[in-house]
Amino acid sequence: MENIIAVGDIKKYYRIAKRGKGMIASLKYLFNRSYEIKKAVDAVSFSIKRGEIVGFIGPNGAGKSTTIKILSGILYPDAGDVKIKGYIPYKQRKQYVKHIGVVFGQKTQLNWDLPLIESFELMKFIYRIPQEKYEKNLSLFSKLLEMEDFINQPVRQLSLGQRMRGDIVAALLHSPEIVFLDEPTIGLDVVAKEKIREFIRYINEKEQTTILFTTHDMQDIEKVCDRLIIIDKGKKIYDGSIDQIKNKYANSKTIEILLENDEKETQTFDISVTPMNTVMENLFAQKNIKDISICEPEIDGIIRDIYEGRLVLDDPAAEAD
Amino acid sequence: MGEIRVVLQSLKMSIHTRMQYRVDSLVATLAVFIRESANIIAIYLALLKFDRINDWNVNEMLFLYSILFLTYAFVVSLFADLRQFSDTIREGRFDRLLVRPRSLLLQLILNNADLIASAGHGTLGLLLFVISAGRVGIHWDFVTVLYYIGAIIGGILIQGGMFIVFSSLCFYFVETGSIRDIFYWNMRKFAGYPISIYHKLIQGILIYVVPFAFVNYFPAQYLLRKEDMANYPAIYIYIAPFVGIIVYAAAYLFWRVSVRRYYSTGN
Repeated sequence: MENIIAVGDIKKYYRIAKRGKGMIASLKYLFNRSYEIKKAVDAVSFSIKRGEIVGFIGPNGAGKSTTIKILSGILYPDAGDVKIKGYIPYKQRKQYVKHIGVVFGQKTQLNWDLPLIESFELMKFIYRIPQEKYEKNLSLFSKLLEMEDFINQPVRQLSLGQRMRGDIVAALLHSPEIVFLDEPTIGLDVVAKEKIREFIRYINEKEQTTILFTTHDMQDIEKVCDRLIIIDKGKKIYDGSIDQIKNKYANSKTIEILLENDEKETQTFDISVTPMNTVMENLFAQKNIKDISICEPEIDGIIRDIYEGRLVLDDPAAEAD
Repeated sequence: MGEIRVVLQSLKMSIHTRMQYRVDSLVATLAVFIRESANIIAIYLALLKFDRINDWNVNEMLFLYSILFLTYAFVVSLFADLRQFSDTIREGRFDRLLVRPRSLLLQLILNNADLIASAGHGTLGLLLFVISAGRVGIHWDFVTVLYYIGAIIGGILIQGGMFIVFSSLCFYFVETGSIRDIFYWNMRKFAGYPISIYHKLIQGILIYVVPFAFVNYFPAQYLLRKEDMANYPAIYIYIAPFVGIIVYAAAYLFWRVSVRRYYSTGN
């Protein structure tokens, strides 16, 4: 299928005024500022096909939000180009944003004092959603997200999970073809997260909606996404499937051993250094073992290793097919 | 058509929000009314002593002031979201507007409308108008009524334009509250009196920089024809209603240019 999102070498640098400590530095700051350049996004490229769900992850400050803002037309990139569904987001804002839905998990777009339904009504008028389609979407979404009970309650009385579901519905009522979700599961409990994941999968399957979403929860990624893009310090460091990253980088296996005397022990091996055969031989030779289990590496652990620099990925240029 | 429905929904939401706190709304309206009345009482007391200020008697003064209140009653609700626009930007609410397929100002108009301030200023303005309008010798006919309505709309547009300009400045400097305080609030205080009593510099500012003179002084002159009008070009009293359109249009263009500078708070 065709690429619906094409991002080519985008860069976004921020100028941050440097500020010294003390009186003299403060005075100097007033008249003569020196700036530091922060490379929020540094030559990132990727493309996404219609109907894909892509997880977009990276440590805090990696440039995820900045990238999402550029894709949604909120920010101009300093260099590079973006083409989404034939539009240049930051140049054709009004025509373009009809086709997208954006959720900023940390900032609500709902009116705090009023029931959800009133914010939804505003969306109906803003996006010129025909009454019939509006009612159809609203009843479907509120059923899927189990919102019937609280749709008439003021938003300030809702739990975070309820509010987030409201925000997602508000962003999707106009059936956008492309959806950007910036941390839609942040701070939610397991049940609320699961509901949101199911919903995301549903609209993706049913409507062929293209979805890019950022999260810090690897469960989100594993359960929802086909593909993973990792960025760090403004650069793309991985782009591919989740299985691929697991197979490729997960050489370390953890073995849990239950000894005869019911003591537990865990050992971690790198099977590229010590093959499983040798590991087992050594274990059986040294200990009286009652039970043994081999844990597959969690994607969590791999990602943590990548963030902390213990695992260096291949050249991203080679990675991007 | 679609535009009107967006604005009406914003208004409806503002009303519903206020309805949730009925007692508070009532008390707050009263508070605004009393606070603003203090200015009027000051004028009244002054005129007990002087009888006239530059030949303007107390009813004429009240009439002059009533226009300020009536226009502001509309401005404060229509452009409520522009009063603290730096907060709107800082809290990331402006990002929200950018991802919706509508003009940015359209989405801001009547959003979070300050209906309390509108009710307070509006009631006081109406009260002053009722007290003064019959006693200042205006012959109310079709033309004067039409002129008056035009002047009120012009006054709303002038002040709305100023709000737009101050908000646009937020795209260049993060905090612009003090510029607004100096130019809007202080100048508005000056506009409560006939501008002819001030130093030429203040008059110049009130006519050409923050054109409050076209909000109330020149329109009042059209209806009252006081002698101090001889200090200004006579044409000013006729163009007053149109100055609003020009100021608003210029402010809108400045806003359009300034929005491009927006680079967001970066999260």
